[in-house]
Amino acid sequence: MRSRADSLAITEPRLNPQPIDASMSQTRRRAPFVNATLLGGTFLAFASVAAQLLSLGLTRPAEITLAVAEPVATSFSRPDIIDRNGRLLATDVEAPSVFADPAIILDRDEVVEKLATVLPDLEADELRRVLSDKTRRFVWIRRGVSPSVAQRIHDLGLPGLSFRPELRRAYPVGALAGHVLGSVNVDNKGMSGIEKFIDENVGVDPVHSATLSNRAPVRLSLDLGVQHSLEDELDTAVRRYHTRGAAGLVLDIKTGEILASASLPRADPGRTQAGADPLVTDKVSAGTFELGSVFKTLTVAMALDEGLVTPNSVLDVREPLQAGRYTITDFHGTGRPLSVAEIFTHSSNVGAGMLALQAGPQRMKGFLDKLGLLQPMSTEAGMISVPQLPSRWDRTELITVSYGHGLAVAPLQFAAAAAALFNNGARMEPTYLKAQLGKQPAANKLVTPETSRQMARLFRLNVMDADGTGKRADVPGYRVGGKTGTADLASAGGYESKAVISSFLGAFPMDDPRYLTFVLLFEPKGTTETGGQRTASTNAAPVTGRLIARIAAQLGVEPLTVGATQ
Amino acid sequence: MRLLNLAAFCFAVASALLLYGLNYDTRRLEASVQAQERAADKARSDIAILKAERSHLSRPDRIDPLARNIGLLPPRPDQLATAAELSELALEQPIETQSGRGMSDGE
Repeated sequence: MRSRADSLAITEPRLNPQPIDASMSQTRRRAPFVNATLLGGTFLAFASVAAQLLSLGLTRPAEITLAVAEPVATSFSRPDIIDRNGRLLATDVEAPSVFADPAIILDRDEVVEKLATVLPDLEADELRRVLSDKTRRFVWIRRGVSPSVAQRIHDLGLPGLSFRPELRRAYPVGALAGHVLGSVNVDNKGMSGIEKFIDENVGVDPVHSATLSNRAPVRLSLDLGVQHSLEDELDTAVRRYHTRGAAGLVLDIKTGEILASASLPRADPGRTQAGADPLVTDKVSAGTFELGSVFKTLTVAMALDEGLVTPNSVLDVREPLQAGRYTITDFHGTGRPLSVAEIFTHSSNVGAGMLALQAGPQRMKGFLDKLGLLQPMSTEAGMISVPQLPSRWDRTELITVSYGHGLAVAPLQFAAAAAALFNNGARMEPTYLKAQLGKQPAANKLVTPETSRQMARLFRLNVMDADGTGKRADVPGYRVGGKTGTADLASAGGYESKAVISSFLGAFPMDDPRYLTFVLLFEPKGTTETGGQRTASTNAAPVTGRLIARIAAQLGVEPLTVGATQ
Repeated sequence: MRLLNLAAFCFAVASALLLYGLNYDTRRLEASVQAQERAADKARSDIAILKAERSHLSRPDRIDPLARNIGLLPPRPDQLATAAELSELALEQPIETQSGRGMSDGE
């Protein structure tokens, strides 16, 4: 039994070897399948991670680009602008700019309301609209705020608002020389004036943060002291003669450097929108005017240079001139024949007309063209307004042009032409940059040195002479010379009856003319001081006198004792 | 053989320590360079602001009324003298060097 049992025990397992075998072989058969599944799953998992990585690496989702690119929006670092003596006119300073991340902002109404308490001129509706766009990660709130404003915004404790330091253009002398300097936009890019010139010719550097420029400062020809004196005297003139505006410039005759250039009302370079008002345009270069009798300077110079007359030649100016349907008469009539010198000092329209007629249209036009008055012109601060010329050069036009009507030019263009007359005929291009010594281009002589001397003498005579129209411009010691101009203001379809532009073209010291001044007063009113007059001899001439008294010493002109100036 | 192994091991440990130290030195130096660059940037920005402020404070339309307030005026032609005239003046009457004192004491 036992053996049987043993044998059973032994053999029993063998009773059904089949199932054991079968189950084992089943497990063996199932194992590769599980392994393959596991392997495949793992492989798939890793592959999907790799694919995700690849796709992330290859394609950049738009939102991320936006968030990165917007704060990196470039602004520009600009070189400083200094005056001829190195005094700072414009510089970059670091200023915080405020931006918001709409995705982090919790309560946008609270943000807008609280911001409005610090920034009263905030456009609330517009801000509410851009902040509601949660896909954006970057919205400028205000660029270039002052540190104190930034601190107050920070103190509001609003989540989602942050600051970035940026460069901002500062004009430490305020609106002084604002028209010349021009302006920059919110990205610190030059939009007008010298600022635009710097962008185009000097170079600015795109920056992502507040990195100051390493470039050398741009040295202008302007003299801050002279500029201030000019603007201050023009301010006084605007108040004293109740004018609608004023303009003036001081030019170095020998080099063409513009030492001062002003136009009132002023343009503040710190406020970019200032150019919108037409009154604020730069009258020195962005406006053309019929300048009136100052133009006789050119007519007389032409007649002298062409050898038609000498200063002592006498012309019979008693009869009025007929020009088409106009009759030209003299404002300061004397009732006797006048010499050419007297025609100049009495500012005789008839005399100027006769000189122009004697020369003829070809020579008159040729002379003005030679002086650069008929061609468009530009300076570093931009294009100067294109001269407006008569369409024909007949008798009528010739006569009216001879005393400064029927032809409108920008004051700067006229001053540059007049300066050539006192520089022995050499015309220097007016420039806003300081001239470098020894780099003066040789200029063509447009008039003879003899004409130049005669014109200087006539200019001085017009101020010294008791009958001269410019006698109120004299400053003892500084040998001032000059010519007045009172032009009827052109308006649509004719001339304003009582509105004039009164101007004074001055130069000093007349023994060796070095500086030229040109002062224009727009629509001055008669006052008790001027005896109710509006003419240039009663307003623009004394303004020039006061101006020269202030600037001559700054410019290093040595005064002579009064006895020696005659 | 064992000695060589030991030496190599010590060398490896020593160079590891050295590299570790160098690494940290470099980082520290980098940090200090960055800090100094930041300080330089800050100083540059401060200089720009101070220059602008100096220019703003010395602008002529501020100085002009201040000068007039204490009784100063633009120079008149008769107040200017050439060098030759000065030496003549000096011979005639010695210039009083004390004349400018009163004002600086008062300030």
